[in-house]
Amino acid sequence: MKWNIVYRETWLHHTNPTLKLIVLVFLFIAVLFVHNPNVLINFSLALLLLFMLYTGYPWKFLLLLFLPFFLIFVSTASSMMMFGEGTKTWFRWGLIHVTEESFLRGVHLGFRALSFALLGLLFSLTTRPVRLFYSLMQQLKLKPKYAYSFLAAVRLLPIMLEEFQTVHNALKVRGTASHGWMEKIKRYAIPLLSQSIRRAQRIAVAMEAKRFSSSTKRTFYYEIGFSKYDIALVALFALVAAAAYYTGVHYPYIPVTDVR
Amino acid sequence: MSTTTKGLKLADILTTIVIAVVFGIIYKVWGPLYDFVKVFGFHLDQLIYGMWFIAASVAYLLIRKPGVALLAEIAASSGELIMGSEWGLEVLIYGVIQGLLAEVVFAAFRYKRFDVLVVSLGAIGATIGSLVMDFYKGYIGALAPWNMALFLIARFVGAVVISGFFAVSLVKALEKTGVTQMLRPASKDDYDALDR
Amino acid sequence: MKPIVAVERLRLKFPGKDTLLFKDLSLTIYEGEKVLLLGPSGCGKSTLLQVLSGLIPHSIDVPMKAERLQLPANWGYVFQDPDAQFCMPFADEEIAFALENIGVPRSEMHHRIQTLLEKVGLFIEPHTDIHTLSGGMKQRLALASVLALEPDVLFLDEPTAMIDEEGTKEIWQTVKRIAKEKTVIIVEHKIDHVIDFVDRIVLFNDDGEIIADDKAQTVFANYKDIIASQGIWYPGVWEEYMVKRQRRKTESSGEKRIYLRQFQGYRSNEVKIRVEEATVHAGEWIAVTGKNGAGKSTLLHALMKLIRTDGTYELYGKDSKQLKQLHRLLAFVFQNPEFQFVTNSVREELAYSLRLEKRKEEEIAETVEGLLRQFHLYEQQDQHPYQLSMGQKRRLSVAASIVSGQQIFLLDEPTFGQDAKNTFALLELLESYRRQGTTIIMVTHDENIVKHFATRRWVIEDGRLVKEEWIPSHSSTTAALLV
Ligand SMILES: Nc1ncnc2c1ncn2[C@@H]1O[C@H](COP(=O)(O)OP(=O)(O)OP(=O)(O)O)[C@@H](O)[C@H]1O
Ligand SMILES: Nc1ncnc2c1ncn2[C@@H]1O[C@H](COP(=O)(O)OP(=O)(O)OP(=O)(O)O)[C@@H](O)[C@H]1O
Ligand SMILES: [Mg+2]
Ligand SMILES: [Mg+2]
Repeated sequence: MKWNIVYRETWLHHTNPTLKLIVLVFLFIAVLFVHNPNVLINFSLALLLLFMLYTGYPWKFLLLLFLPFFLIFVSTASSMMMFGEGTKTWFRWGLIHVTEESFLRGVHLGFRALSFALLGLLFSLTTRPVRLFYSLMQQLKLKPKYAYSFLAAVRLLPIMLEEFQTVHNALKVRGTASHGWMEKIKRYAIPLLSQSIRRAQRIAVAMEAKRFSSSTKRTFYYEIGFSKYDIALVALFALVAAAAYYTGVHYPYIPVTDVR
Repeated sequence: MSTTTKGLKLADILTTIVIAVVFGIIYKVWGPLYDFVKVFGFHLDQLIYGMWFIAASVAYLLIRKPGVALLAEIAASSGELIMGSEWGLEVLIYGVIQGLLAEVVFAAFRYKRFDVLVVSLGAIGATIGSLVMDFYKGYIGALAPWNMALFLIARFVGAVVISGFFAVSLVKALEKTGVTQMLRPASKDDYDALDR
Repeated sequence: MKPIVAVERLRLKFPGKDTLLFKDLSLTIYEGEKVLLLGPSGCGKSTLLQVLSGLIPHSIDVPMKAERLQLPANWGYVFQDPDAQFCMPFADEEIAFALENIGVPRSEMHHRIQTLLEKVGLFIEPHTDIHTLSGGMKQRLALASVLALEPDVLFLDEPTAMIDEEGTKEIWQTVKRIAKEKTVIIVEHKIDHVIDFVDRIVLFNDDGEIIADDKAQTVFANYKDIIASQGIWYPGVWEEYMVKRQRRKTESSGEKRIYLRQFQGYRSNEVKIRVEEATVHAGEWIAVTGKNGAGKSTLLHALMKLIRTDGTYELYGKDSKQLKQLHRLLAFVFQNPEFQFVTNSVREELAYSLRLEKRKEEEIAETVEGLLRQFHLYEQQDQHPYQLSMGQKRRLSVAASIVSGQQIFLLDEPTFGQDAKNTFALLELLESYRRQGTTIIMVTHDENIVKHFATRRWVIEDGRLVKEEWIPSHSSTTAALLV
């Protein structure tokens, strides 16, 4: 996504996008099987550090980006805390029933959501879509018709946002009768969608007019390979995971090893 | 006369992905809204959860071909991810599973029916997909029983209303604009008329 | 000579229409020929080009059949609309996309991209965001990426429809330079620039039939009457037309309609148009001219308040800030006609404003009927506005916005992509409105319109109104002739 913000390219930008995606998805799945809050807290903190140091964006921007994540943390944690089952009651008020188990489970869930969010951000902030899809075509043999369709869609994003202004202008120029809000949503949503469909069709025709076809063998303008940064990536995440596990088990913050 | 190629045609894929990305934007704004509704408690938030399945329904109703529902959910969630979703990588995995289960439902009807019932069942499929993930990720099983029942009902009802009924009405409105004509093969009648 | 593109007994019909667009049309084009397809707006030129290239039915599913169809193996296509033909965000990536498709090795790509850009006269840093290029530059890039395919046959569908005089000349010069050896099939209304380039002209009538097919000079010499009756542009048409037409009357300025002082319009917080001082009266026809990207459209947008403005802007002596519902005072036509369609059929589009004003149904039906005929859209009345030909869209956009009796028209290039018949009809219609006191502010690249219809010219340069010029009228009589 183009954030109109100047950023520094870090080594994470230079890693192979496919490998990065695989590593991060693997970690995502691994986190699902972590039930020890100590390990998870360590892991989240390590990700937070990476996020601050290696995405290459200014701190102010990162903080701003982080705000909604904090909300997720709180909301995910709190609903489990208040309504989860457990035996050691801490607090009860009407339907709200906070127990030690549910509280810890809530905290654990909060950190889990946090680490998912960070994994996602680490990826999206350091990957240019063009590089990602070229890499997917080259490393995972993704069919070009899918890859280029995604790229075209990414290119259309800002244009579609402008489209909103266009529809607004059209209604201003032609005048509108004042209807309810449902009517209003439709007045915008339908033209926006139908315009995007039309755009997509035209681009498909333009692509085929440039003799795009999935059957012939194609060359690539960008060749995405592997480099020393990829070794660094795998090594670093292996180290982070191992360290989080080791310290979590041996130097716990909370005397609970499984929140289930 | 259209050439029969294996799988989806470029135009189908491109259209599916582009509308899915439009929904991706909606998915992204839906996040904060969802959190806002959550404040009211009683799983009211679950009533609007169904919006996150709508790309599959709409794409299926528009393009009417195998694979588009899954593709649409994946594309919408990638779009959401690229825009910096609060849920990060999670959305991608959820997207895959939700799309897959919606697709299974449509396949069960052999991609021959395009009405409210089928799409609502598709939405229910997607809901089940999201729940599978939730059980793993969010320890939903550990909620108090009354609470859990409320949670499930709210999510299923919301899904059917938004990704079932609303999706159908949206596509009906789109059909009136004539764009769908380009998406579907010309009828045999039209070809026959050439000889008149 | 070897045939390179050919159709025999082509039949084609758009879904939902009851008549065939082409009925048993045959056409053969030989290697190395430069062919111009000429015909009235809506006769099917763009559609035919798509059939000859194979885009119909391969990429666009339209019911058609032909007894024989010979398609070129290596071809390139430049579309009417510059924005509809790019698939990548950056200029170099766009050309590279074409190179990838034909399997050019990566090591050669940078070099080829450079050469291609030079060849079409586009001197930019290759990795430039396409969004930031002007219309003329975009069309040149489109040409470059088409040339990357090393085509034997070039299909050009009005590649200069939205481009200023200078840009048009440059693009055609480029085409002439690079296409000497190739077969070129052109659709173009503005024939002045291509006439010395093409060696064969295929003439169509309203029903999509070929009525003449011969050497360029022969066609103009022998079929002049037919061309004129079909309302197609030909060299010297303006002169002939002006003889038939009686001269415009010089009016003394009427009531004051618009007053601007230190008026500015902004786009993303930058001043994109500034007018020091200007007054516009009733019965004036102001032609706004200037290069691509000068700010002509921006001026109209500012007057319609579609963008943020400041400074003094009075309408009928009142501060425009106090006026709500500007659309009741000003009729507005966008440069891109698609931008203003809000309904699902031609008929509904024309009725839209009238419905908003709650006119009586019979009255609406009658008005719409009249407009459909006047603007040659009768056959298309049930089509969706987007399914019209370029010229038809343009006409619909004008017709739909001037129906509800506003006294000031803001028109952004209302005659582009139009055949002679429709251009003159539209100009005459506007002229009759002007006589009754309507104020017209119209962006145009056509000097003939400025000379023969406008009463005043505004020149826009770099976002400023730099020059005003009163156009002397040639004589004074009343009543105009209609072609
Ligand atoms: N999708 C469609 N459905 C129905 N009719 C259509 C569709 N597209 C085009 N037409 C009609 O087919 C006719 C030919 O259109 P085409 O665009 O080929 O015209 P053209 O000769 O290029 O005109 P212009 O000079 O105005 O661009 C027009 O009358 C148009 O209204
Ligand atoms: N939506 C927009 N957002 C930002 N800048 C714009 C926008 N539209 C136009 N501009 C810029 O404003 C300037 C004036 O553009 P404008 O469209 O008014 O030119 P024009 O004189 O109408 O050109 P043309 O003859 O090509 O229509 C250009 O530099 C253009 O890049
Ligand atoms: Mg055309
Ligand atoms: Mg303009």
